[in-house]
Amino acid sequence: MTGFIKKDLAMIKSNFKLLGILIVVYAIMGLMGKMDMSFILPFMCVMIMISTFSYDNYNKWDAYSFSLPNGRKNSVKSKYVTTILITFIVSIITTLLSFIISYVNTQTINYEQILVTMLGTVFGTLLVLTIMYPIIYKFGVEKARIGIFLLVFGIVIIGGLLANYIDLSNILKSLAFLEDYIIIILIIVAVIMVYGSYKISERIFSKKDF
Amino acid sequence: MDNVLEVKNLCKKYDNFELKNISFKLPKGMIMGFIGENGAGKTTTIKAILNIIKSYNGEIKIFGLDNRKSDKEIKEDIGVVLDDMFFPEILTPNDINKAMQGIYRNWDTGMFNDYLKKFSLLPNKQIKTFSKGMRKKLEIATALSHHPKLLILDEPTSGLDPVARAEVVQIFQSIIEKDECSILLSSHITADLEHIADYITFINNGEIVLSKTTDELLNKYGIVKCTEKEFKDIDKKDYIKYRKTKYEYEILVSNKKDFKTKYNISIIDKITLDDLMVLMIKGEK
Repeated sequence: MTGFIKKDLAMIKSNFKLLGILIVVYAIMGLMGKMDMSFILPFMCVMIMISTFSYDNYNKWDAYSFSLPNGRKNSVKSKYVTTILITFIVSIITTLLSFIISYVNTQTINYEQILVTMLGTVFGTLLVLTIMYPIIYKFGVEKARIGIFLLVFGIVIIGGLLANYIDLSNILKSLAFLEDYIIIILIIVAVIMVYGSYKISERIFSKKDF
Repeated sequence: MDNVLEVKNLCKKYDNFELKNISFKLPKGMIMGFIGENGAGKTTTIKAILNIIKSYNGEIKIFGLDNRKSDKEIKEDIGVVLDDMFFPEILTPNDINKAMQGIYRNWDTGMFNDYLKKFSLLPNKQIKTFSKGMRKKLEIATALSHHPKLLILDEPTSGLDPVARAEVVQIFQSIIEKDECSILLSSHITADLEHIADYITFINNGEIVLSKTTDELLNKYGIVKCTEKEFKDIDKKDYIKYRKTKYEYEILVSNKKDFKTKYNISIIDKITLDDLMVLMIKGEK
């Protein structure tokens, strides 16, 4: 699988500069006490990785990859592993920067708040990956973009309608006992959803004919 | 294992096209030219052999193993050039080298770099800056650099100028001489195949029309040229196809010698693979 990861990393190496610039901008804005854009950076990783699907599709890499040893499996696995890898690296860099910014600005480090923000962001990023990748494998990047838009739109509408009929505050109150375990729960949920998404993508891809 | 590749009763149905009972065998150490007009089914057959399409009927054995059950094992020893399918064009040959190190057990960086030099390909240039011929050369270099036992090449010389084509054909020949490698080579540039192929398999409209040694085809088959009057005296059983040109009849026969003995027609030309294809496809019976 390492070969497939190297190929995906090579494809996004030109984007590393952009990520670097964004990290510097984040650091400067943070030090100036302006907008906190730490949540954008991990999301950028997924967006950058999604662009590799377009290149793969344009040059018919997927069909070619089927002619390589374990191509069907490793092509999918490498997309997930590479995305998670760069998301984690960027998240760690962003978190460390957030500690520094917090210390410079307030002479204290609010570990809990920074970690919870970053954990939430990583979870959100993995959620996007979980939903997007199987859709991309099934319908292609272009249709998946429309699909994700419709999905988000649908969730907002349904969420809005449900909020009118269901008292969310009661539900949240009844779930308050979970607060102590929130980090563990998020990690477990993230692992299950990403693994499930991977298995679905792998199944879709293993049945593809070109 | 006498045959590196055996295709038996391969069938695949699309809405507007069908592969019908494709069967042929490629013996070890041989080059097979796989010919046919565009859309005849060459690429579909190759895709089935490589499991790029999975939903087909029939049996395909490579190195004596079932191609679906032993997919990974088989592909370690196959080098592939596919028509219009390759690495994304934002990558460089160096990137491909690094990726292939992690894909093929026997990847040979030294050999790959030698091919890059031989083909004058710059290792740090993105593929998108390469001409069509250069891309083809890079695909060939990639297919050859893990010491494959079987090369499956779909139109590997298309887009190459005559000099580069000769160079590539020579490389294929030297691989066969040096290693115990076999080659399935699909091409519509049939002149290349006449020089290097040991076998010719001809596919037309999704069906194998013939699969024979090149020597047999080029030496035994022939084109009879005769007048209309002479043509009318020829028994239908004694020719494969014919076509009427402006001045004469051209008749494809499978045994020049027998035909000459039976009929008193002196003009029987040697056949080329191009002639064979044209008469088989456009000729009448």
